[in-house]
Amino acid sequence: MHSINKTHLLKYSKENFFILSRILSILILIIFLSIVSPQFLGWNNILNIFRQASIQFLISAGLTLVIITAGIDLAVGAILGLAACLSASLIVSGHLGLGIVAGLISGLFAGALNGLLVAFGRITPFIATYGVLWIAGGIGYVFMKGEVLHSFPPGFRFIGTGILFGIPVTILIAGIILVILHLLLHKTVFGRYIYAIGGNPIAARLSGISVKSKLFYVYTLSGLLSSFAALVIMARVNSVDSSIGEELLLPAIAAVCLGGASLFGGVGGIAGTAIGALILALVINGMNLLGVPSFWQSGVMGAIILGAVLADQYGSGRSLIKS
Amino acid sequence: MIIKTHKSENINSSELVAYLKKAPGALYLLAFMAIALTIWTPNFFSLNNLTNVALQVSVLSIVALGMTIVILTEGIELSLGPVLGLCGVSAGLLVLAGYPLLIAILVSMCIGALFGVLNGALIAIVGLPPFIVTLGSFGIAQSFAIVLTGGDSVVGLPEYFRWFNDGLFLSLPIPILTIITIFFITWILLYRTKFGRYIFAIGGNRLALKLAGANVNFYHIGAYIFAGLLTAIAAFIMTARNNSAHPTIGVGLEFDAIAAVILGGTSFEKGVGGIAGTIVGALAIGVLRNGLNLIGVGTEWQVAIIGVVILTAVGIDSLRKN
Amino acid sequence: MDRRNFIKYNIIVTLGGLANPIFAQGNKPITIAFFVKNVTNPFWKGCRIGAEKAAKELGVSLEVVAPTKPDNIEEQTRLVEDWIVKKPDAFVFVPVDFKALVPSIQKVNKAGIPVVGYNNRMTDVDFVSYIGSDDELIEYEASTFLFKSMGGKGKIVHIDGVPAASTAQARKKGLERALKDFPGIELLVSQPGQYRRLPAVQVFENLMQRYPEIDGVVSANDDMAVGIAEALISAGRANKTKVIGVDGIPDALAAISAGKMFATADFSGHDQAYLAVHAAVRNLRKLPVPKEIKLPIVIISKQNISSFPSTPEERSVPSWDKTIASQK
Repeated sequence: MHSINKTHLLKYSKENFFILSRILSILILIIFLSIVSPQFLGWNNILNIFRQASIQFLISAGLTLVIITAGIDLAVGAILGLAACLSASLIVSGHLGLGIVAGLISGLFAGALNGLLVAFGRITPFIATYGVLWIAGGIGYVFMKGEVLHSFPPGFRFIGTGILFGIPVTILIAGIILVILHLLLHKTVFGRYIYAIGGNPIAARLSGISVKSKLFYVYTLSGLLSSFAALVIMARVNSVDSSIGEELLLPAIAAVCLGGASLFGGVGGIAGTAIGALILALVINGMNLLGVPSFWQSGVMGAIILGAVLADQYGSGRSLIKS
Repeated sequence: MIIKTHKSENINSSELVAYLKKAPGALYLLAFMAIALTIWTPNFFSLNNLTNVALQVSVLSIVALGMTIVILTEGIELSLGPVLGLCGVSAGLLVLAGYPLLIAILVSMCIGALFGVLNGALIAIVGLPPFIVTLGSFGIAQSFAIVLTGGDSVVGLPEYFRWFNDGLFLSLPIPILTIITIFFITWILLYRTKFGRYIFAIGGNRLALKLAGANVNFYHIGAYIFAGLLTAIAAFIMTARNNSAHPTIGVGLEFDAIAAVILGGTSFEKGVGGIAGTIVGALAIGVLRNGLNLIGVGTEWQVAIIGVVILTAVGIDSLRKN
Repeated sequence: MDRRNFIKYNIIVTLGGLANPIFAQGNKPITIAFFVKNVTNPFWKGCRIGAEKAAKELGVSLEVVAPTKPDNIEEQTRLVEDWIVKKPDAFVFVPVDFKALVPSIQKVNKAGIPVVGYNNRMTDVDFVSYIGSDDELIEYEASTFLFKSMGGKGKIVHIDGVPAASTAQARKKGLERALKDFPGIELLVSQPGQYRRLPAVQVFENLMQRYPEIDGVVSANDDMAVGIAEALISAGRANKTKVIGVDGIPDALAAISAGKMFATADFSGHDQAYLAVHAAVRNLRKLPVPKEIKLPIVIISKQNISSFPSTPEERSVPSWDKTIASQK
């Protein structure tokens, strides 16, 4: 138990380092953009950035936990899409509460399927979640049959478009999830186990942690959070078709990695993901404000991702690969 | 600490039986699907259809072979899709501009190799995680490809270009001949050269290699260069298939390739696996999709079924392992 | 033949000739392979419904064929090859990329299966008939409509589709052509919305910060246009900016009715598909089919929205004869 505590402290400070270095990257980005774009520092623009980052954060939140366990969840977008389709169809036929619950439950079940496959089926997370990606996507397609569902009730839309105490609700929601997950990771035994499993699964098992059940919970939680993000997105854009969520996977992973989490596990944190999401939103905002031609945008994003991890590398002075 | 060494694979009958015993679940699935489809639809087991399937998986197989090498080093290559697109449009543009085909081939392979060097250097020397590095170069390759053509396809290619897909040599279609050739080259590379031993060792225990003073980085980068080169070759076949080069034609290819590799039994952990499995994995994917089309399963259900089949194949593997 | 049989024979032939040959039933039902670009965009659902209506009327069997990955070129190539093996009686086809699918359709031609094209033209292939318009023209018409309603003066923003997608490229060219016609219109910027609502909304919110004055938005499709219209409403700028989309999906029609969105261009996929299936079956039954059927592009705005049914199911089918007659 002692050794795990110490290792955990070490990782905590490593995580702090990443956050500091990321805040530095953000400051550089902000300074650069303020110079080249006069509209950048406008209050509305800043609000937009945080709102977009909040949504990106919600999509990546559950994924962060999975990545800390040295796993991956490729089904994030598909589960989000499935949850959106199911809940939308119930909501437009008048069952708001049922729709929300159905959406969340579908995410829970899809995540649980991931968990079963990875934890108990002992299938590599990559291919397990890849299979679930197809299954969830397929069910979504079958369910929607090419339809688009739109115009949700204003009460529901509040969570995506409303303002509370002067702050957009999406930002508040993201903030709450951020705090909850941060506490989960750093103040609970479960959180310590997550890091331990990611850092050294064999040692974790040997020290008595039931790795299988923890992994199961992590993937289930990831699915639940994906479906929660789906609801917020639905409320924001007011329509759902079966393609929703398709393009969300890679940015979600990028946000987590930009936040300092290592795909080899044991490192990273939810605050890092929030910052990663913020970086992505800043880059897109910058490209829009500067009018970067559409053909160059994926390249700019790719270069920034590389730049960020490079800066990380030289900043921390040690390799991120578990050698 | 045990330093892993590779087992060289000899082909003789007892080893073959042993291989079959530990063959990936995908092989059994492939056999099952082939038999079921032959019974179920009249169209599956015809020379025409089987040739189609082989041609359809040709691009995937070649890219997946390169991906196998990378995964054996505990890495991953997400940029192969856009790199394929970039190589294809570059070759197409060069040929249209009047350069000889040989130049187009050389330049295309250089581009593939260049991305291999970029990815490999960042991963091996700098020590960055492969996933995020290749995710970054994915975006960069994609942009280059789109900018080169202004978003359009490259059309009007000379007739001889179609030889890469439609041509025959020794009465075998060129793509199939290409897979066979590349398979043998890869096999020799992996099991008969120092390069191959290093690949397995990097995947098995990179640190030990480094401590032993070996020039690990060279071979590590080499894995990514190899994947890039193979992708460049595959680009020609893809371009010929559509008689046009398109910057985003490779979208999703890298994930399919990774799936083929994993279905084939190569795992991300500790450099276990081989290229024969990859071909089986690619064939399984191809037969599955072909079968679903021939049976006439609706698209929506196809998506779900593909997921179920993938999970079944790896599930079989997992059950047998434990 | 003696006199009585001769009369009988003539009566039978005449009656047979009078009966509309299109409804004659063969022994084996005709199977049409009906291709769409994906199963996610509601536009293709509209096409599918039009095609199914035609199939039901004509008593033929319709198989809907779409790639599992939306708009995927490699997949559609495979689908065409697999379907050649299945030998349906005819293809009704739209290419996800009108250049890349040429070799595949040439293979269909070689296999002797008749092909009717719709929605996107293709060159160097043998179409029994082509029904539809094209992306370049539709965006040209939509942009022209918008610019005219702006009095030929003002600033616009273009929200593009997926970079390098053939429809996005074609629509952009249509916009550029319209811009040449209206020198008083200034294109502020063109940014990609990826054809999806969430990215488009976020991009446009960013652009609203850069450009406090936007008189019009040309959106490459309706999904994005509706989102942009709503973003304008949230920002309180809806009355200053007109948004026009393309497709005519139910979502957009509702927005136009409610006054949230300015207009859209009806690609009339439903009608195209209906007529295409008719063309394919007529061709199989050896009836005359015109080489091309151009459907007029209808701009849907508040003025004429009431005459548009909100869902493709409710839409009435075009009349084959009237459509042919109006082709002059």
